[in-house]
Amino acid sequence: MTAVTAVTGHTDHTGHSDRTDHSDRTGHTDLTDQADRTDDSSRSDDSSCADRAGCEGHVEGRPGEAEAGDSAGPAAHAARAAAGTTGTAGPGEPDESRESGESGGSGDLAGVRAARAARAGQDGENGTRAGHGERAAEVVWDDGLIARRVTPGTAAADADGELRAAMRARAARALEPPAGPVAALPPATGPSSTYTADASSSCTAGSAPSYTAGAASSSLYEGTSSSYNAGSSSSYNAGTSSPYAAGSSSSYSSSSHSGAATSSAHTTVAYEGSLRGRLEALRELIGLSRARLDSATLAEAGQVLDEAAARRRLSDRHTVVALAGATGSGKSTLFNALAGVAISETGVRRPTTAAPIGCSWTDGAAPLLDRLGIPGRLRRRPLQGPDAQALQGLVLVDLPDHDSAADGHREHVDRILGLVDAVIWVVDPEKYADAMLHERYLRPMAGHAEVMFIVLNQMDRLPGDAADLVLDDLRRLLDEDGIALGEHGEPGATVLALSALTGDGVGELRESLGQFTRERGAAARRVEADLDAAAARLRPVYASGVGSASARGAIGLSEEARDEFADRLGEAVGAVAAGQAAERAWRRHANKACSAPWLRLWRWYEAKRFPYHTGKHVVPPPVDKEATARARVEHAVRTVADAAATGLPTPWGQAVREAAARGAQGLPEALDELALRAALPGGRPPRPGWWPVAVLAQAVMTMLQVVGGLWLMGQIVGVSEPNLGVPVLLMVLGIVGGPLVEWASRMAARGPARRYGYEAERRLREAAAGCGRARVLDPVAAELLRYREVREQYVRVAQRG
Amino acid sequence: MLQKAVKIGHSSHVATLDVRPQLLDALSALRERVAAARFPLPLPGAPRARANRDELLAQLDDYLVPRLRAPEAPLLAVVGGSTGAGKSTLVNSLVGRQVSEAGVLRPTTRTPVLVCHPEDQHWFSGVRVLPHLTRVWVTRKDGDGRDRAAAAAGGDNDRALRVETADTLPRGLALLDAPDVDSLLADNRVLAAELICAADVWVMVTTASRYADAVPWHLLRTAKEHDATLVTVLDRVPHQVVGEVSRQYGALLTKAGLGEVPRFTVPELPESAGGGGLLPASAVEPLRVWLAHRAQDPSSRRQVIERTAYGVLGSLNARMPELAGAVAAQYAAALRLISAVDDAYEREHARVRDRLRAGAVLAGDALKRWRAYPLDCGPDELLDAISESLEALLLCAVTAADERIDDAWRHEPAARAPGLARREGRYERAPYEDAERPEHRIGVAVRRWRRELEEHAEDEVRALDRVDKGALPDADVVAALLATAVLGGRRARSAGETLAERIGAHGALRLRDRGNRLLADYLDKVLGAERERRLAPLDALDVSPEPQAELIAALSVLQKER
Repeated sequence: MTAVTAVTGHTDHTGHSDRTDHSDRTGHTDLTDQADRTDDSSRSDDSSCADRAGCEGHVEGRPGEAEAGDSAGPAAHAARAAAGTTGTAGPGEPDESRESGESGGSGDLAGVRAARAARAGQDGENGTRAGHGERAAEVVWDDGLIARRVTPGTAAADADGELRAAMRARAARALEPPAGPVAALPPATGPSSTYTADASSSCTAGSAPSYTAGAASSSLYEGTSSSYNAGSSSSYNAGTSSPYAAGSSSSYSSSSHSGAATSSAHTTVAYEGSLRGRLEALRELIGLSRARLDSATLAEAGQVLDEAAARRRLSDRHTVVALAGATGSGKSTLFNALAGVAISETGVRRPTTAAPIGCSWTDGAAPLLDRLGIPGRLRRRPLQGPDAQALQGLVLVDLPDHDSAADGHREHVDRILGLVDAVIWVVDPEKYADAMLHERYLRPMAGHAEVMFIVLNQMDRLPGDAADLVLDDLRRLLDEDGIALGEHGEPGATVLALSALTGDGVGELRESLGQFTRERGAAARRVEADLDAAAARLRPVYASGVGSASARGAIGLSEEARDEFADRLGEAVGAVAAGQAAERAWRRHANKACSAPWLRLWRWYEAKRFPYHTGKHVVPPPVDKEATARARVEHAVRTVADAAATGLPTPWGQAVREAAARGAQGLPEALDELALRAALPGGRPPRPGWWPVAVLAQAVMTMLQVVGGLWLMGQIVGVSEPNLGVPVLLMVLGIVGGPLVEWASRMAARGPARRYGYEAERRLREAAAGCGRARVLDPVAAELLRYREVREQYVRVAQRG
Repeated sequence: MLQKAVKIGHSSHVATLDVRPQLLDALSALRERVAAARFPLPLPGAPRARANRDELLAQLDDYLVPRLRAPEAPLLAVVGGSTGAGKSTLVNSLVGRQVSEAGVLRPTTRTPVLVCHPEDQHWFSGVRVLPHLTRVWVTRKDGDGRDRAAAAAGGDNDRALRVETADTLPRGLALLDAPDVDSLLADNRVLAAELICAADVWVMVTTASRYADAVPWHLLRTAKEHDATLVTVLDRVPHQVVGEVSRQYGALLTKAGLGEVPRFTVPELPESAGGGGLLPASAVEPLRVWLAHRAQDPSSRRQVIERTAYGVLGSLNARMPELAGAVAAQYAAALRLISAVDDAYEREHARVRDRLRAGAVLAGDALKRWRAYPLDCGPDELLDAISESLEALLLCAVTAADERIDDAWRHEPAARAPGLARREGRYERAPYEDAERPEHRIGVAVRRWRRELEEHAEDEVRALDRVDKGALPDADVVAALLATAVLGGRRARSAGETLAERIGAHGALRLRDRGNRLLADYLDKVLGAERERRLAPLDALDVSPEPQAELIAALSVLQKER
């Protein structure tokens, strides 16, 4: 698990001739080692893989780059750092690392690196440092005459355009992929002989492959999975600068450095398990939501990933600390006091410092300073001595002020604040309560309290106990800003009072800085705080807005909503009416068949007299086109979509609605067709088995009447002997029995008629519901599922520890 | 010099501004217009415009109108600057005793303090200037007055102005110690801006470590814009760097076009940091002399007043159109919202009409009923089904329109006004008032339509002059057939035929005409009512184009009167 990558010479790509060699005096001896070559070749494989992932400079390339960075060694770091901090610099990076691979492979000593031993890159994380929240920070400052002053800082432009151009030029020299011994490389990371300019291929570069390369060492390569899809990622380079927003940093245990190999090693920052998981989750989250959310929303989160990845690739022995503060607060004086030499100009002229100046206590910080965009001519070394020993690993950056009338300064500050590991805020008794400092910087950065020092400078200007009063007041203000103060052993910002001029208290700061630097946790904590801030900012698009606790249970379609939808569709195709009509038709037929002839005769006469009342003349209806009620279908879909979208954050609710609307296209037509097929066959409804019996009984009754009548007639005429009883009985039987049979069969017909109608209704309704389910409910449910997935992912991102 | 000034007095000698009553009237009218301007829609520029309006109003109320009404009133010099610049110390030193609390904790001054000569007190005790601030008096005779003042001010939590008198101050001059312009307390910032706007003389205090700060520079530039009488004080300058800092500051001022602004430098002395002490008189003497001269020399006093007053008047030329522009932007945004609503409802209206013409009402249940009629379906059932179907159609149109509006409004920042944003979570607000639902309202309308339709049918049937009363058609049947004929489009042609058979071709035609008109009426009524409902909150905001024109008109009247 140790990364031992020795840097020897490193050509500065920033193009400043005065700083051509930043040597990390560690691994010279390795240079000639034959094993390097093999390592190199395998490394360049990685780089070529990185190319595939990272060409076009899209963010999805980042994971690949990360890999390449680890494999190709610090040269690539330098290149990357030189490329600046913007996402657009992407294209150059893999090329650069490839180039280094080439040079290494060809034994070019001026080239770079000798990688040794086990490399535990702990890749895969795209960590980041955020440069976000700018938009949020801008809003506060608008209260009239006075506040009109603060022009919102624009996203800092990178100052190294020409540099990137230069790198692109180099990239043109595409190189042959070396055919080194590559053992057990998974296909994804396999050698690719062409420069694949395919940004959209979601390159799963090196998912946890472990391979042994060369004779010397086995490089354990830890999981890089970059399921970063193409898409809106190009927008990720928006807004580099600005202070970061809320959140907080957390547990971190400094990465394990093992033994002798590490002592001279150039390790890179390793993010500890939970942080890594969260970064991974964030990347997946972005991938999952890209199609649903606008790119601007995701850009900030993407930037967190980018910056975390960028920082991870760089040295973890160094802690980059910026000195920030208002003009005249004594940043430069403190800078000089810490360095022991006057390297930053101080003076009464305001503003004094116009460009950031870097000073590194330990070698090898060049890539870090490159990343900050600090040119070689502004890099300094401290006075060597015991004081300097205490601050091993510190890279101090003196920033310009953030509150002077010179706007460019603020841009510098905002950009660099997004990239450093920690910040020392220098305030003075006169300015410690400035609104700009608190509202624009400290409040939005409250989550970064753990990587924050607040230093009350110029104590010498305060008489007596006023110093303590001011310090207490400062603490109170910080508390109001929401910044956790690191008191009583709790994590939080360190607040100190000192005088850079007289040196009072500087020792204390040096001590805590030294302690802070030795812990080597700042970078990870910073990333964690950024991550927290990003998660907090993404909250409204992932977590449901109001009453989320109650809404959480309600997410998804309830059974009632589904039933209601089916009912509405049933109404739209007219299931109920069809059922009723069928039932009545059945009964009508039954009645007709089983009614007494005399009644039928009378009815027929009635119909003859008032033809309109019974409407006998109606011709059988034609087959209807568009038999489905369009409006009802539309309304049903809208209602069910609304119900499904309830409790969802707006973008997801919108996606659900869109899915429903897409599904609803063609639904009425489908229902039309379906209604035809599902309807009961036309014509006469089927007859039940007892029907002939009823008809027979009716006939018998009629016969009885006729027989009785004839009999009576016979007696009257005298054909038969007079016997009144039997024929009268027969006739009465027939007369009473006819309606009786009719009534009985009517009763008997009820049940079957109802069943028949119900069947008709059911068939239609079920067909409609099935159609609706397939076309609307399923897509909606899929969308809901997707949201739930994303939400889980978000919870993973937001959950600390 | 002070003695002499007191002897001279000022009101009788001071040349007054030549102010015509018309100008004052025009100014009052303009003030009313400005006060009436509203910015209810949350447009990006709205907070800015609101602040501008408040600021302008404050300046008119606190400064311009009182100054033009009473040109002989004492000069008001407002001492403003960043937090910790030493404003209070400066005021104390100018007065010669502790009138305003100074200290190391920021922000120090929370209640502004006005210091004037005892004989001038009546000018400030009323609400002539700064009418929004409650006056807090301290009748002080000895050194402990400060504490009592603090107690008095502490009790009055909302904005107060402490009035102090000091006979060390020349008559005709009042000093006002304002809170920090960049205070962490937003209220303080607003108050500071308001106070500075009320000044005849702006005294901008900055320090050696602050003179390049953006905030004071913004103020200076504003002062320049308003062409106010301006003095700058470079405070707390360490002795050893006085020359250099002063030179630097001068260069910056010159660069900003403020080179001619009087500049005073006050060195940093232990007293200026210590809180309690006063600066030695010599340190602030030049400033005091300058101020006293402005207050007492008639011509320079006149010059000071005129410059600031006309500066403010002049600044109206730029500020009023800005305000009017913001008002216009509000109106434009409101118009966009309204047109989105109108557009949505118009399109839905057209769609409904098309559907009605195509007989979309006679579909689904209604169609099945119609097909079953008259054998397996009564006229009532048919009419029920048709009514329901019509209801569904209208409801669908209304919800579709709402959705369309929501879509359109989503891209409008103005639609985020509190009253307008309603759609989200409409299903969550569980027990919806029934009358709140469009379903309910449309249901009522459709029932009413049905009743009227039935009445028409009855009238027609009654009017039938049939010999055979028994052969009279049933009114229910006629109503059902009529509804079918009107709503069924082509597919209900047979309904029309039947109707004609029943009540005669002529009557049927007349009835159908009435039925069509009735339907069109109700359609307009329902959609119109829903549209109005949707627009009601917007109408309630009362965004109209008039204020813009009125603002410009008031400005032009004022310009004519000058």
